[in-house]
Amino acid sequence: MRVQLMALILKELQQTFRDKRMVAVLVVLPVVQIIILGFAVHLEVEHVPTLVADEDRTPESRALVDGLLAGDAFTRVGTLDHGQEALAALQQGRATIVVVVERGYAEHLARGDAGAVQVLVDGSDSNRAIVAQNAVVTYILNRALSVARLRLEALARVRGQPIELVPVRFEPRVLFNPHLDSAVFFVPGVAGTLLFIVTFIITAMGLAREKETGTLEQILVTPMSPTTIILGKTLPYAAVGLVVLGLVVTAGAWIFGVPVRGHLGIIFAAGTLYLLAVLGAGLLVSSAVRTQQQALMAGFFILLPALLLSGFMTPIENMPAWLQPATAFNPVRHFLEIVRAVLLKDASVRDVASQFVALGALGLGFFGVASWTLRRRLG
Amino acid sequence: MSRRFLVRALAMAHKELMHILRDPQMLGFALLMPVMLILLFGFAVSFDVENLPLALVDQDRTPASRKLTEAFTASKTFEIVARLDEPSEAETLFRSGAARAALVIPAGFERASLHGPEAVAQLLVDGADNTTATVALGYANAVALSSSQQAIVRAVGSFAPPIDARVRTFFNPALRSAIFLVPGLMVMVLTMLAVMLTALTVAREYERGSMEQLFATPVGRVEIILGKLGPYFFIGQVQVLLVLTMGVGIFEVPVRGSLVAVFVLASVFLLAMLMQGLFISVMTRNQMLASQLAAISTFLPALLLSGFIFPIDSMPPPLKIIATILPPRYLVHGLRAILLRGVPLSEIVADIVPMFVFFAVLLVAATKRFKREVA
Repeated sequence: MRVQLMALILKELQQTFRDKRMVAVLVVLPVVQIIILGFAVHLEVEHVPTLVADEDRTPESRALVDGLLAGDAFTRVGTLDHGQEALAALQQGRATIVVVVERGYAEHLARGDAGAVQVLVDGSDSNRAIVAQNAVVTYILNRALSVARLRLEALARVRGQPIELVPVRFEPRVLFNPHLDSAVFFVPGVAGTLLFIVTFIITAMGLAREKETGTLEQILVTPMSPTTIILGKTLPYAAVGLVVLGLVVTAGAWIFGVPVRGHLGIIFAAGTLYLLAVLGAGLLVSSAVRTQQQALMAGFFILLPALLLSGFMTPIENMPAWLQPATAFNPVRHFLEIVRAVLLKDASVRDVASQFVALGALGLGFFGVASWTLRRRLG
Repeated sequence: MSRRFLVRALAMAHKELMHILRDPQMLGFALLMPVMLILLFGFAVSFDVENLPLALVDQDRTPASRKLTEAFTASKTFEIVARLDEPSEAETLFRSGAARAALVIPAGFERASLHGPEAVAQLLVDGADNTTATVALGYANAVALSSSQQAIVRAVGSFAPPIDARVRTFFNPALRSAIFLVPGLMVMVLTMLAVMLTALTVAREYERGSMEQLFATPVGRVEIILGKLGPYFFIGQVQVLLVLTMGVGIFEVPVRGSLVAVFVLASVFLLAMLMQGLFISVMTRNQMLASQLAAISTFLPALLLSGFIFPIDSMPPPLKIIATILPPRYLVHGLRAILLRGVPLSEIVADIVPMFVFFAVLLVAATKRFKREVA
């Protein structure tokens, strides 16, 4: 059995890598992708294109605008003369946010009234619009509060008695990723995703190709047992997958400063279980289809939900309640949770025990069902 | 020439159509998939943070601390999942993913809030997911601001904010993330389906040896390619229609612009993506390799380089160049402009031209590759 298995693995590797471009696609491309895409996953509110219509043109209104533009968050892309032009500017996509300081702002403030500011937001832009809007509102509220405090102090001086003000403050402490760097969160997700794409599609195509070219019959007439065939069809890609995992983790840590705080052994153990589940699912697809085209279609049909319902981009808590339990059957979710917990939070096996159990069950389950199905069909 | 060209291209298209019809499972899959995917993703992919698991560490246990807790859990943003005695226990919950934030109210909070100088509570946030963490921090900020306002009210009896900020959000007033995510999801689904449809067609003919037979006929290279494109173009149009109907019907994505503009935009996009699939097929001549390239050149690029979620203008310059070449960003931009902002066709020419250039360049490149082959 050992000799047969080695022979089959050798055949599989030779067949796959006979075309040298396959090496590039399976091993080099994932690394290139993680390097490129790691730079794309940038959700920080920075340089939000902002138009300013300062109708008041006073030192006070300028101070308000300058304070808003002071940080990295907003970048002035132009100036409007009147607030009326704001909507048209948003419609043309010239900016995400338009800030209009209405005429009489300084005068109202001086009189002790309220100065008026309009903030117009393009809600179609992206997630960024929401965050940017909150940032502007918070900025203006903070400014309003400090003006209010000055007024209270003036009032206290008039009354001749101090006014007690006890503000409530939150001391924020951000753990594991103090600078709230997007790459630290997304790069492990992209790594898990790449691993899935590379190994899943290829196993899904594997048996389909043999069926299409008619070589499956030839393999079946050899004295090899179905188990040998199944292992021979998956072990090479499991090895490729682990190599890719090592490469992308290295690239993530080296280039994007993703911390490696926990034990890498845990990640590779989780990676092995993950690959078991992914390859099992790939084999299942492969046994169900007749052609490679069908395998690709069916593969995508599974790949997309598996990746988008994994918490890779948007948290699972944001999903509707009826959908959340379904993600328990998604190996990608458990693998990503383990990878993030170990890399960023120095989690021990005990911390992620439930994810390990789930991943192990899914791995054995998928692989078990796949080999059972195949054994019946091949035997 | 042009008449014969048309006849041959149509013959080629007819042959490809027969291939498609011989495999009705495939066709069913191609039409069922966009419906299922949009339905699933429209519900699942959301940036509207709700029910964030919160651990509460109330070491004060006074009316003031309870009031702060209430202020924190008043909206649906946080949901208390654990009550702890020590802040250090929260980290364990963060590690296992059971909690994402912890509100720590230290002993003496009430005393401080009565006698000053300030009352301080702590918010621990799991920063691993920076988007959610930012939302949590912003929320705490808002709670603190409103408490400060209440402090002023207690001191002088009333509080009129000295700056009257009127925020108006256009095109998506409720700020539902589905409104801008669903058009992006449509693009993602269409990108992958289109490339997948054509990526194996030529490679399959090479593998089965029927490509040589085709070359032996008087059908020209361009005719082969355009003929192969034709039937898939129509399947793609049906997919566009399905995806659009789902988005509008179920996720209430508005259609403020003209449907003709959507049709023109989507048609050019389809041509570009189907061509990308054919190009992969012609270059690789190997279905296994082609499928890998199809997968890897669509899913992540359409997701990450399209401006669908991650804004392109905050990417580093080399990435901006790649994003500028690839068609998905133009469909994301154009669809949002037409559907949400209601701009006319004339204003999205800048989105249509680059997609057409992409199509034309790949068409020429694929034909060249064919020619070299024969010579």
